[in-house]
Amino acid sequence: MTTLDIYIDDKPLKVEPGKTILEVCRENDIDIPTMCHLDGLTDVGACRLCLVEIEGVNKLQSSCTTKVSANMVIHTQTERLKRYRRITTELFFAERNHICAVCVANGNCELQQLGYKVGMDHIRYPYLFPSCEVDTSHDYMVMDHNRCIMCTRCVRVCGEVEGAYNWDVMNRGFNVRIISDFNTPWGESGTCTSCGKCMHACPTGAIWPKSLSGEQLHKNPEMISELVKKRKMNL
Amino acid sequence: MDSTDNRKILISPVTRIEGHAKITIQLDEAGKVTDALFHVNEFRGFEKFCEGRMYTEMPVITPRICGICPVSHTVSSVKACEMIEGIEPALTGDMLRRLIHLGQNISSHALSFFHLSAPDFLLGYDSDPATRNILGIAEKFPDIALRGIRLRKFGQEISERITGKKIHTSGIVPGGMTFPLTTANRKALLDWIPEAMETARMGIDIIKRFQDEHSEMVNSFATSPTHYLGTVGAHGVHEIYDGKLRFVDMDGNILQDQLDPASYLEFIAERSVNWSYLTYPYYKPLGIENGIYRVGPLARLNVASRMKTPAAQKEFERFRKINDGKPVHGSFYFHYARLIEALASVEEIHLLLQDNRIISNNIRTHGHWNQSEGIGSSEAPRGTLFHHYITDKTGKLQKVNLLIATGQNNPSMNRSITDVAKQYVDGNDIKEGMLNRVESVIRCYDPCLSCSTHAMGQMPMKIEVLDVSGKIVSELVRS
Repeated sequence: MTTLDIYIDDKPLKVEPGKTILEVCRENDIDIPTMCHLDGLTDVGACRLCLVEIEGVNKLQSSCTTKVSANMVIHTQTERLKRYRRITTELFFAERNHICAVCVANGNCELQQLGYKVGMDHIRYPYLFPSCEVDTSHDYMVMDHNRCIMCTRCVRVCGEVEGAYNWDVMNRGFNVRIISDFNTPWGESGTCTSCGKCMHACPTGAIWPKSLSGEQLHKNPEMISELVKKRKMNL
Repeated sequence: MDSTDNRKILISPVTRIEGHAKITIQLDEAGKVTDALFHVNEFRGFEKFCEGRMYTEMPVITPRICGICPVSHTVSSVKACEMIEGIEPALTGDMLRRLIHLGQNISSHALSFFHLSAPDFLLGYDSDPATRNILGIAEKFPDIALRGIRLRKFGQEISERITGKKIHTSGIVPGGMTFPLTTANRKALLDWIPEAMETARMGIDIIKRFQDEHSEMVNSFATSPTHYLGTVGAHGVHEIYDGKLRFVDMDGNILQDQLDPASYLEFIAERSVNWSYLTYPYYKPLGIENGIYRVGPLARLNVASRMKTPAAQKEFERFRKINDGKPVHGSFYFHYARLIEALASVEEIHLLLQDNRIISNNIRTHGHWNQSEGIGSSEAPRGTLFHHYITDKTGKLQKVNLLIATGQNNPSMNRSITDVAKQYVDGNDIKEGMLNRVESVIRCYDPCLSCSTHAMGQMPMKIEVLDVSGKIVSELVRS
């Protein structure tokens, strides 16, 4: 098998072509934070947390969507990147209404863990406090747009793994929203199979079972990655 | 603080209570007190911003109203949720909730007495305000301070031993609990009982000694009679966790008994006032003029026919003798009532912990949305607390009403500060100690303003003195 020589954080590595920088980093225990990435789903580079510096390239690149090439020299832990990751995390918290203390995902939330990881001890940006709908129309699950960070993991798992294509994205910028079907209440969806994969894929407390409340939510996103792996094995 | 003719006194902030408030004392041209008003000037809006959320989130959101009585909010909330779901809690889950609620009652009462009010009794109303606090007690009476702190800790430890958290626990849910009590934790809590009993008794001794030594003051301190509301168990036994409601009038006659808390709107009405974010609740059948009632420890002991446990029953009998078996109206006796309740709670905890069903793992029943309306009540340390939710058919909250103990005591707090101001404040020669007495009557009620207005913050307080034209001529401000 042909291999490529690359350097990550001054460490020489031989890697298979076709892999993303993030895949290589994960294989080599190089820690890069992510929110929109979930093993098994197509990467979209939405969260901008996995940005890396590549020598000779002016712009920062998202490691989940950038494939390795020969003699790439990559930096993943520079002061600039750390600063950007913290800024990005703070912006997640400032954009919608994240109140960990009363959240069903408190203690089991990837966004909360990210805050700890990047050392977010305060938020320097004004909170936007958008007015967001809580969609309780589904029989078993709730979609709380207050806690959504637009990672689109729910959209991708619904289309790519379940094949239902219930979830999609509407509008742009401040007004961007996850929608069910053509922006109908979730409970009235004609495509949702109520499989719950979106709930497990969601990194925050945006999608949760109605029967639970504070701190009771335990998600299993690895189950989705396993499902995808097993399906590939069957093929 | 200055003194001129025709004045208004402002005490702001009121100290050693939970929340923000100020008192305005109105003087006439001769410098005599004509009126006093208790203002709560914060607003949090929990009832409003909970609209649009799932009802199942309320047991987690509403305890954040308060760090002193979060369990009472959770308990009222889960009961309202259980009514919506049409379920009953699992037996052990219900016992554990009762245990945690009793623990919170002890913790809150210990805080109110040892930390906030005891400085007046042990150091004196006119002692230096700089040291008239728990630190002053720790310096002069270190054993009492330490025991008071440990009694509060005992109450909180019950929650910690079951749920892992001292306050704002997440394990109390509709249908019961999510955490059981382990055998080791049960033993650890049982080991605390003798010390907790001793400290509760010590508190009772302190207050009784003070009452004996200052009987004239105690028996003339804000004694305006009111009606009383409290929760009682079967045959009128004292109850703070779950039961039916009883109203007694100022002479001790039972106005209504074994009322279902879910029908609270049939007997309680509220009116808003222009000087405070606290509303003016009253006993509906008697109207706003005659329907003034109180809740809290004094009310609970005034409505109860007896206590559940022997030591508390003995003390209860002494309490009821104060007014020859009739309701005790003196606001000062709130402290005594609070300590009797602390003793009763320790005894009841002891009984619960000795019951082997307490360590069962069968702690929760499950339900789902069944009807759109849910009402739950419990006896918070400061009195009867109602949570009332109305949802749509998906479980989303359309309306939330939280009727809080301190809110229900608001009319009588106003009456009490007026009584005390008239008795102690001389508009021609205003002294700090006089104003401390006005503040202290508020502390008798142990008001939690964070809860009552769903307002936030610690409790600085202000007293204003107004002249006949409404101009502030003197004020006392503490932060």
